Amino acid sequence: MIELTHVTKSYNRGKIKAVDDLTLTVKPGEIFGFLGPNGAGKTTTIKLIVGLLRPDSGRIAVEGYDVAKEPLKAKQVTTYVPDFPAIYERLTGLEYLNFIGDVYGVPKAERLERIGKWLEIFELAPVVTNPIQSYSHGMKQKIVLAAALLPAPRVMVLDEPLVGLDPRAAHQLKEMFREHCDAGKTLFFSTHIMEVAEKLCDRIGIIHKGRLVACGTMEELKAIDRTEAGQSLEEIFLELTEK
Amino acid sequence: MSASSAGAGAGGGVGARPSRVKTVLTVIRAGLRSNFGLATLKHRLLKEKKDRWLVPLVGVAAIGVVPMFYGIVLLIENVYLVLKPMGQERALLSFGILAGQLLILLFGVYYVIAAFYFARDLEFLIPLPLRPGEVMASKFAVIVINEYLTVAAIVLPVVVTVGVLARRGVGYWVNATLVYLTLPIIPLALVSLVVVAMMRFINVSRKKDALILVGSLALIGLSFALQIGLGRSAGGRGPEASAQAVAAFFTSPDSLLNKVGAIFPPGIWATKAIAGGFSGEGLANLALLLGVSVVLFAGMVVAAEKLFYRGVIGLGETTGKRRRLTRDEMSRRVSSGRRAFAAIFGREWKIMNRTPIFLLNGILVSVFVPAIFVLMATLNKGGRGGGSGGGGGGDPMALLGTLLSANPLVVILGAALFMTICGSVNGTASSTFSREGAQFWISRMIPVAPREQAAAKFLHSYLVAMLGVATASVVAAVFLHLRAAYLAPAVALSLVAGVLLAAVGMMIDLARPLLDWTNPQKAIKQNLNVLLALFADVGILTAVFFGVKALMRVKLATNVVLGVVFVGLGALAAVSYLAMLKFADKRYPEIE
Repeated sequence: MIELTHVTKSYNRGKIKAVDDLTLTVKPGEIFGFLGPNGAGKTTTIKLIVGLLRPDSGRIAVEGYDVAKEPLKAKQVTTYVPDFPAIYERLTGLEYLNFIGDVYGVPKAERLERIGKWLEIFELAPVVTNPIQSYSHGMKQKIVLAAALLPAPRVMVLDEPLVGLDPRAAHQLKEMFREHCDAGKTLFFSTHIMEVAEKLCDRIGIIHKGRLVACGTMEELKAIDRTEAGQSLEEIFLELTEK
Repeated sequence: MSASSAGAGAGGGVGARPSRVKTVLTVIRAGLRSNFGLATLKHRLLKEKKDRWLVPLVGVAAIGVVPMFYGIVLLIENVYLVLKPMGQERALLSFGILAGQLLILLFGVYYVIAAFYFARDLEFLIPLPLRPGEVMASKFAVIVINEYLTVAAIVLPVVVTVGVLARRGVGYWVNATLVYLTLPIIPLALVSLVVVAMMRFINVSRKKDALILVGSLALIGLSFALQIGLGRSAGGRGPEASAQAVAAFFTSPDSLLNKVGAIFPPGIWATKAIAGGFSGEGLANLALLLGVSVVLFAGMVVAAEKLFYRGVIGLGETTGKRRRLTRDEMSRRVSSGRRAFAAIFGREWKIMNRTPIFLLNGILVSVFVPAIFVLMATLNKGGRGGGSGGGGGGDPMALLGTLLSANPLVVILGAALFMTICGSVNGTASSTFSREGAQFWISRMIPVAPREQAAAKFLHSYLVAMLGVATASVVAAVFLHLRAAYLAPAVALSLVAGVLLAAVGMMIDLARPLLDWTNPQKAIKQNLNVLLALFADVGILTAVFFGVKALMRVKLATNVVLGVVFVGLGALAAVSYLAMLKFADKRYPEIE
């Protein structure tokens, strides 16, 4: 579960409000899609949830752990995939996975099984002993995803996870999202791909200029009183983020 | 970002295409802004109002170097006053200029390889509609500006002091300015030509990193041999600097001026250009210097057209065999669960050793510094014509022999100082957080307490420092014949001092980690934190020096003084280590 209560984050000493009084709860077993135009505050919100940024005010809790007060407990149950796969290029894929397994304390048997599984799914098995430096952008994205899945976290937070993935990997990742949440875990991800959000997410939040302008299931979003008649998520998104 | 804006300029838009010169100037401007972080600095200081504490700190550091410069100027003045009656004052100019040019040659290898081949902005620059020579010229310009700063401390005091003392006219100052602006071009162009040719061949090899390392070391060795040549010529006649010795050194047919000048004539041209002012000799030499600089620069651009992209494109690619691990192999290679501390320590070690720039500037420096000492001592000895050394003041071994009989306490503390310096000059501790760069998010995300991460990083930095201490100990034992009774306390003191200096270096880097670098060189060699840590080290060691001096004045027994220094340093080390861990807990969540 992820809970944000009246969270505000500004830059330039309060001149730019990136996130403005955001209150949001993502329940266990839920895939939550986070949409918004460029610069709306998606990545800032995600970084606040995973503790990479500190809010000016408000409270953020992950699985009941206050991110500011109990950061290690919150981190132990959370993994994060950034929008750009900046990882240790001089390590091999396997060394990186081992590193993540070590710091999250994943036991050997589980580690072996999960590494084998995700390497096969992401077709990384033949290159896992090569330096990450030699990987393509998509392969780097996949190794970051495999590393995020390795601890089998209660909460996964992903920033644009589908960017750079080939259609097969993207399909498998979406299946994994469902699997993850069917096991009662939480998944929060941002995307610009409306179709994915519409088909995959249990609930969707739309952020615009730092404020949450809509949040709910697809049905709930369609029921919002709007001037335009369109019913697709794209049409709803465009209208809500027009100004 | 800057490269993109450069691209906008280079692209030209829909109107008339900008001239090539204008395009190159746009790329140079973008390169300079990016290299010196001007836009970021302006944004942080003026908009975000962060890092303002740096302004007074840099001011204090600047004031701190004033006494040192004053000392240098006094030394130059004394030498000048000795040389003037013999009409040899221009030899002093030539010494300063040659030292500056050879320093550029030495550091140029680092700068050129890093800027031409490892800077991440190449990914943006290569696809732009720019010729390889233009990209290289823009990068070259950035290095030249860097070198102005590097050699300012050596060349400017000499040129300015001589000019002021000799009351030289406008011609001197105009030519001096032009020479200073031209000074880095010839040595850097020469280094660039060699490096561009070297990288062209390294790029086709599968062992690129290893070859880059070997090639860099060979070039540094070559530059260093020239430096030694300079030092040997200068020091070979004894350091007493009596009027006769100085005069002989500067004026004899076998002098430094002629020797090094024969190897590196641009130094002589530069000297004559400055000293001659607007006279025929001055202008002719200035023209020669400028002409050769232009020719070499043009030659480098032409070579770049043919070789640069062939050396740089694909350099970052590492070929790996595609091979699936068997079940057994996988089971063996999947770790059975190390502690987080061990995992972080292992990561630090692997990344440092596998990144040529980090390895070269970090670990190898630890080994280099003591090795250089041995080399200089050996060459100095050999330079005396194979004699027994004759107890000449220039032989460090003979010097130490004299000291040994004089005061064991001085020898032990001197050896400890030598070992400590060898261990701490590498900048591994003071760049430990900066080196993570864009990957720092991982350290922020993992469920490992900042103090535990910092402790693992400390162990890594400390071991690198100890590598320097170990090498220095071997030098002290084997080459300086330091007895075990002196060696043991010296090692013990340097081990404790190493903790203090590593912890202080880490705190400095933690206060303001440089994470937004695009060129690994910036994370370690051009990192202000490394320089600040060096200042801090000098401050700490100076304080220890005065403390010891006070103890010696009380006339305590050697063992008592050593005991007090050891306990004092130990207490400081423990406090600084704990403070560093606490600071890590505070700083990690703040770094955004």
